Amino acid sequence: MKDYSGVVLTAPISLGYARQSPHGAAWFVGSVLREMIRAAGINKVDIDGISVSSFSLGIDSAVALTQHFGLCVRWLEQANVGGVSGILAMRRAARAVQCGEAEIVACIGGDGAAHRSFEHTAAHFSNWSTDAAFPYGAAGPNGPFSLITAHYMERYQAQREDFARICLDQRYNANHFPGALLGHKTLSLSDYLSARPIAGPLHLFDCVMPCAGGEGFLVMSEERARQLKLPAVKILAADECHNAHADDPIQDRGGWTRYIHDLYNRAAVGPEEVDFLQTYDDYPVISMLQMEDLGFCSKGNAPEFVGRTDMRFDQSGPGMHKLPHNTSGGQLSCGQAGAAAGFLGVTESLRQLTGQSQKNQVPNARVGLVSGYGMVNYDRGVCAAAAMLQGVDR
Amino acid sequence: MNIKDKMRARLKLSRPSLRAEARPPGQRSVCGSQFSAANLPGALQLQHCTDCGHIQYPPAELCGACLGHTLIYRNTACEGTLLAQSQLHHSLWEYFKRRISEAPWPVATVRLNAGPVVIAHLVGRDFNAGDAVQVFSHSDASRSVVLLAVSASANIETPQLRQDIVAAIGLDQPAERQHGI
Repeated sequence: MKDYSGVVLTAPISLGYARQSPHGAAWFVGSVLREMIRAAGINKVDIDGISVSSFSLGIDSAVALTQHFGLCVRWLEQANVGGVSGILAMRRAARAVQCGEAEIVACIGGDGAAHRSFEHTAAHFSNWSTDAAFPYGAAGPNGPFSLITAHYMERYQAQREDFARICLDQRYNANHFPGALLGHKTLSLSDYLSARPIAGPLHLFDCVMPCAGGEGFLVMSEERARQLKLPAVKILAADECHNAHADDPIQDRGGWTRYIHDLYNRAAVGPEEVDFLQTYDDYPVISMLQMEDLGFCSKGNAPEFVGRTDMRFDQSGPGMHKLPHNTSGGQLSCGQAGAAAGFLGVTESLRQLTGQSQKNQVPNARVGLVSGYGMVNYDRGVCAAAAMLQGVDR
Repeated sequence: MNIKDKMRARLKLSRPSLRAEARPPGQRSVCGSQFSAANLPGALQLQHCTDCGHIQYPPAELCGACLGHTLIYRNTACEGTLLAQSQLHHSLWEYFKRRISEAPWPVATVRLNAGPVVIAHLVGRDFNAGDAVQVFSHSDASRSVVLLAVSASANIETPQLRQDIVAAIGLDQPAERQHGI
């Protein structure tokens, strides 16, 4: 695979997180665009490519938004793939810039949260879900993920205390990130363990809070970013694989296993050398699958791994092994803003690697791994993407 | 339509919690509706590919193995193995909210001996992962067909016996609101 040299990511924006919002998806996508233009010090006409990810645009598509926002672009993409949309948008946009198809691509994920909209999204998520998953208790994603979690706990002897390690350290990170919806609340082990049950082994703090929000970043040439004096991040390697291990009766691994060694080789960086890890944390067990499949520990050893690992951004926890993980609190503490959740790990990585994080800055963050997972078409998440990012020396 | 009926209809659409009767989710894709129709007779009918013999679920328009389009519904063996189970304490749907207010609602993932992995309503609570179970189909209170998993020893020979199992968990009746609007 050709490398991503000469292309950088810049101008990360996260905005508008709210439990409910009167605004539609277009408001969030357009607001992110406005803030990115402002942050980069460019004009709207400089944007000649746009990638949009959203579940709640309704009958509008990305091209409708170009007319809404008065944009004239020569490169357009709609990547409605939930938890991997940020990494997919990044990969596609980077190639477009590399090949000269566009000069500046705006990659944006945004979703509204109208009253009862989550119920609608869950009921109409996919044909297979509507036919064969939703009628069984109508629990939304909690249903399939409670079964995945129950199976993982049984097969690998995981305990709720192991999942708590992920949730508690992420909440600590969120306590230092102003954008996190739940960042004003602390979470203790007894809070976690005594939370009300939701589905099987899943309790309240294992589940993300659906919300509204927007996330985005710009993709441009390294030279252009230097001219604009923008702190930027380059892609050392990135990959994706969808519907891998389809014969596993219940999911306990994802498509990362198919390319992760190759990805580390291309990046010339291994898992022990990264300064932080951002996983897609719709449920803590899914973060564990990623830690295993991305090579931070072997299959089934994530409970032991999180037990001895300090996942706080500032390495202030008791664990001897240090790995800052989901440094903005992840979705478990920020909220899950629809398709923008697939961008959350990327924008947070960009802030960390360019030193733009405020109170939750990982000291000397140079290289980070971000991973995406998503789209429960029926009984499991089908998509698995990952990217190794490095800050550009200024 | 007079104002009173109009208001009542609007209330029903926008406030499911105020409906007198709540039913399980009835919406299905075209393939899902065909699955319902095919499963009205018999204990379990799944799509079989007449080209490659692949048996599949959830229903789709093409064979997931060979992409052939000659799929037909055939009687399929009910036996399977329980892979995972979960008691639901929370639901997005009014029917299940009312049922869950009485007791958690159990669901399970089952691997059928015929091949496919299905999500099903679980009847009974004394199960462990790895247990042998049987899966059969039955229409629910929305007149859509759903799958139910029961223990391997349960008798599901006749339509009446299967209907009794469905009735015992209240799936064939709407969940009624206890107090008026």
